[in-house]
Amino acid sequence: MANPMHQFKVHKIGPEIEISGINLSFTNSSLFMVISAVLIITLLLLGTREKKMIPGKLQLISEMLYNFISKMISDTAGKKAKPYFPFIFSLFVFILFCNMVGMLPYSFTVTSHIIVTLTFAMFIFIGVTVLGFIIHGFKYLKIFVPSGVPLVLLPIISIIEIISYLSRPVSLSVRLFANMMAGHTMLKVFGGFVVSLGLIGGWLPLSFSVALTGLEILVAFLQAYVFAILTCIYLNDALNLHH
Amino acid sequence: MKKFSITFVFLLLLGKQTIAAEAGMPQLDPEYWASQAFWLILIFASIYLLIDKIFIPKIKSNIDMREDKIRKDLEEAKNFKEEAEKKLKNYQDLIQVAKNDAKKIISESRIKLNEDIQTKKDEIQKKIDQETKDADNEIKKFKSDSLKKVGSISEEMVSEVIKDIFGEELNKSSIKAAVSETLKEKNKNI
Repeated sequence: MANPMHQFKVHKIGPEIEISGINLSFTNSSLFMVISAVLIITLLLLGTREKKMIPGKLQLISEMLYNFISKMISDTAGKKAKPYFPFIFSLFVFILFCNMVGMLPYSFTVTSHIIVTLTFAMFIFIGVTVLGFIIHGFKYLKIFVPSGVPLVLLPIISIIEIISYLSRPVSLSVRLFANMMAGHTMLKVFGGFVVSLGLIGGWLPLSFSVALTGLEILVAFLQAYVFAILTCIYLNDALNLHH
Repeated sequence: MKKFSITFVFLLLLGKQTIAAEAGMPQLDPEYWASQAFWLILIFASIYLLIDKIFIPKIKSNIDMREDKIRKDLEEAKNFKEEAEKKLKNYQDLIQVAKNDAKKIISESRIKLNEDIQTKKDEIQKKIDQETKDADNEIKKFKSDSLKKVGSISEEMVSEVIKDIFGEELNKSSIKAAVSETLKEKNKNI
């Protein structure tokens, strides 16, 4: 049986690029990032090529994406989050396309690597924290002191709040990474069963594989959505300071 | 379900690791971490710039344009509706005025007609009265004339009869008196 983790192997494509001792070679991971990016740009380019009163299919898709994310932001983070709309839009679309491209056979899933999701999560975490301090100044620390808590409990609650705040990037990155990795590993394992059980016993894992593929497409969309909506919620905390 | 599947995979991996030495999670191999982060930042930044500067304004302007058009069309439709309602009201007013006029004309003409009929009736009545009177007079005249004639004829006849029977003439004035007496009695009976 083939190693189900082999699909996550990163290997370099082309020459080795090294800048001040750090290996920055172009890899298969980079290649699929580029493929996702090209697909996004192609879709948006075709979707915005014509300005029709009654939209065509691609124009409709791009407008639906726009309205979907616009509604998501205004629902979770309010009007103040309007300047961050392009970032959330790019984030959602990029993660969605990386997940979906990963569903193609023989492709590489960029988001199944912890370093990729952690880079996003850390960027969002640091960005949101900096934003909170810029907008509210020192008062942003109030986020760790929920209102209406008895004074005796306050130190414990504050510690819990600080821990939960600091674990945001971890939960955000691990959620996406683990979901993608687990799904693709399961697909590979069941695929391997189909081969090893042959014509007689292979039908059951094959049907499982088909069902899992459907589930994974759903998960690919859902995880991109969850990632974007959690970013919106963190942004909302920084912008509106509800506690 | 998800947690179960993750633990399942980890157990599987653990089992694998004991069999195959080199198996494991390639994700935890730091060899290409810097490269992945670098390319991610580079590619994501370029996508972000493209989307921010080109695609979102384009999509937004198109959506705004459509909304503008829809709003304008709706406004126009509203205006047309108001105009139509105004026209309908005008029409109804006109009809009402016409109806009132017609009613007035009808009632007026009825009154006039009644008056006309009354005057005509009166005239005719007058004429009839006149004619009746004339006729009455004439009848009276005829009557008196005929009575006179009957009187003179009777006198002549009486004098003739008397002459034939008695062979002599009687005093005319006495005959006249007798005839007129008889006639008077007869008239009374009539």
